[in-house]
Amino acid sequence: MARASAAPLPYHDRDSARLRLSWRAVPERIEVCREVSAAELAERGEHMRQRVDCDGRSATYVLRVEADGRILHESVVRGSGLRHDRPLYVLRDFVLAGGEHRVRVTFARRERPEGATPAAPPPPPPPATDADTGVFAGRARREADERVRRARAAVPALLVLDTSLTFTQARVTLVTFDAGRRQLLARQTSPSQ
Amino acid sequence: MRKSSLFRMRPLARGATRALTVLDAAATRLYGWRWNPMHQAGTVAVAMLLVLLATGLYLILFYRLGTPAASVARIAADPWLGSWMRSLHRYASDLFVIAAVLHALRIFAQGRTWGPRAVAWLSGLGLFGAALVCAWTGFVMAWDSFGERLALDGARLLDALPVFSEPLSRIFAGDGPVPSAFFFVNLFVHIALPLVMGAGLWLHVSHVARPTLLPPKPLLWSIIGALTAASVLLPAPLGEPASGFALPHATPTDLFIAWWLPLSETTPTAVVWGTTLAVAVVAVLVPLAMRQPREGAFAPSVVDSRLCTGCNQCPQDCPWSAITMVPRDDDRPTLMARVDPARCVSCGICAGSCAPMGVGPPGRSGRDQLATTRATYEFIDAELTSIVAINCQQAPAGHSAALRARGALLHAVPCVGGVHTSLIEFFVKSGAPGVIVVGCPPRDCAAREGPKWLHERVYSDREAELQPRVDRRRVHLATSAPGNLDELIAEFDAFAVHLATLDLPRRDPDSAIEVECESAVAERAWQ
Repeated sequence: MARASAAPLPYHDRDSARLRLSWRAVPERIEVCREVSAAELAERGEHMRQRVDCDGRSATYVLRVEADGRILHESVVRGSGLRHDRPLYVLRDFVLAGGEHRVRVTFARRERPEGATPAAPPPPPPPATDADTGVFAGRARREADERVRRARAAVPALLVLDTSLTFTQARVTLVTFDAGRRQLLARQTSPSQ
Repeated sequence: MRKSSLFRMRPLARGATRALTVLDAAATRLYGWRWNPMHQAGTVAVAMLLVLLATGLYLILFYRLGTPAASVARIAADPWLGSWMRSLHRYASDLFVIAAVLHALRIFAQGRTWGPRAVAWLSGLGLFGAALVCAWTGFVMAWDSFGERLALDGARLLDALPVFSEPLSRIFAGDGPVPSAFFFVNLFVHIALPLVMGAGLWLHVSHVARPTLLPPKPLLWSIIGALTAASVLLPAPLGEPASGFALPHATPTDLFIAWWLPLSETTPTAVVWGTTLAVAVVAVLVPLAMRQPREGAFAPSVVDSRLCTGCNQCPQDCPWSAITMVPRDDDRPTLMARVDPARCVSCGICAGSCAPMGVGPPGRSGRDQLATTRATYEFIDAELTSIVAINCQQAPAGHSAALRARGALLHAVPCVGGVHTSLIEFFVKSGAPGVIVVGCPPRDCAAREGPKWLHERVYSDREAELQPRVDRRRVHLATSAPGNLDELIAEFDAFAVHLATLDLPRRDPDSAIEVECESAVAERAWQ
């Protein structure tokens, strides 16, 4: 029983290595925005007076992985959720032989901005005199800041990692998206190491 | 036997019976039928749950959510207590799975899944499923290469369901440390499930009278001792600490709990879920597929109100709590037995428990047993010179044939616990030199308590006892279990030799046993 309780069950191939792609990102919004007129704003409840209304959808991306000039994978990546308006997730593993490989990972937005504007436009300057008072004071500024924050949080329209990597046998090389530096990077150890 | 309209389970049940017979025989040769752990599988499973609880309480004191792998490694490195406590926890979980599977297999093979036993079957399935999930989370807690492997496959399977907004698999990809929240949820499930299982166990035995929850003490302590010795001598190894960047060539895998892992890893998630669902649905539908028509051999017991003296014995003997005492609807001052047909499984134990022979399944009450037997043996009335072997129909066929070959006159019954002692008296008074009653091992009785009650009725004056007028020297109780044929034959031969030393039996075939039984009961009632 002790033997069957800890039987050495084969798992990974001893000679191979893996290229793993894993990241989470917020897709860009492809939107048409318009400034709401003062009359429209007046008709809305005080807590609903957003100055810019945007309508649109999340961008989709093409993920392409090449190793030594050979295409390993190509697929369309959408945001999660039924309406694909949630963050997108990438998680793919590719088995490669140990040793050095030229790896190229491309993550590119599919949509071209035609009329619609990707990643929300710069906000209109807030009015010089802010009519909002009380808890709503400064709302125009906060609204503008929020649009900027969301635009900056979205993944860039094009990410490319094109580099030579040395793959160690029985080890994973991870390609991930660094949201702070807004670029793809490769890692062979965990962030804490 | 009726064929199910839904799907045929009988061939499967026969296969299970054959497999169990082989295993039973091997275990009986090793341990003897009295201590055969195969017959105690259900109670062994409960005992292992208690061992898991005790060792788990110790291990949880030293487990750290922030550093799961390191804390388990520290426990495993402690040679005094930690190492073998952890191994005992592991081995007890393995034995639980083995015992639970054997228990379910026996219940299935014996067709004990329909009627009121469906509750036990379904709750048993739930308990087993909960135990597997609990074991899964337990291995993940250790966070070694095997734990990570299980976690990855579990995440892969869960990601196929539209449940989580973010794929769980990404937690283990290596682009960040595995969050403590994951280990917290895992630990919570690992601790909460045993609590749920406690409630499930209550439900599991709720329809059973006098449930036996633990094996006999010698067996219990032998098993725990053996597991402890194995834990000290062969501690369960711990794999390399989990790392999102390592690709281990092999993992120390627990095949009792994760035998399916290599299959699952290489199979599309839809197929895994589909297969799991299909197996679960088939298992859940077993009571429906195995159900029996409530007629003929499976008709519920009935009470003859004219004969019932209100002695309260049949409710005490019924293994399924199907009989209660209720006020009579005539002017007699006693209570009267009433059978709840919904809880009665027609085991016939009550027929053996009723001194005036007033209860039992139609055609199988004490009176019916006597009438049928009289009719059967009337033509050999003057020639009944062989030892009569009253044998359980569930006993191995080879054993009955062996007894017949040694000259015994076989009289097969559905269960020896349902045999009214007046039947034994009838054979003795009919001139049989002796009567040997061959039953199943007490813990392997399809009617749960048949051999136990019979023994008490013959030797301990349990109500519906074998009357003092019957020469006890001519009666012998034996056990037939796969693997003990030699013992049974030796016992039979010794009984035959013993009978040869006695005087010739005094024949009294004309005595009205039924009337004598009634008189004895009436006399006792007046005292």
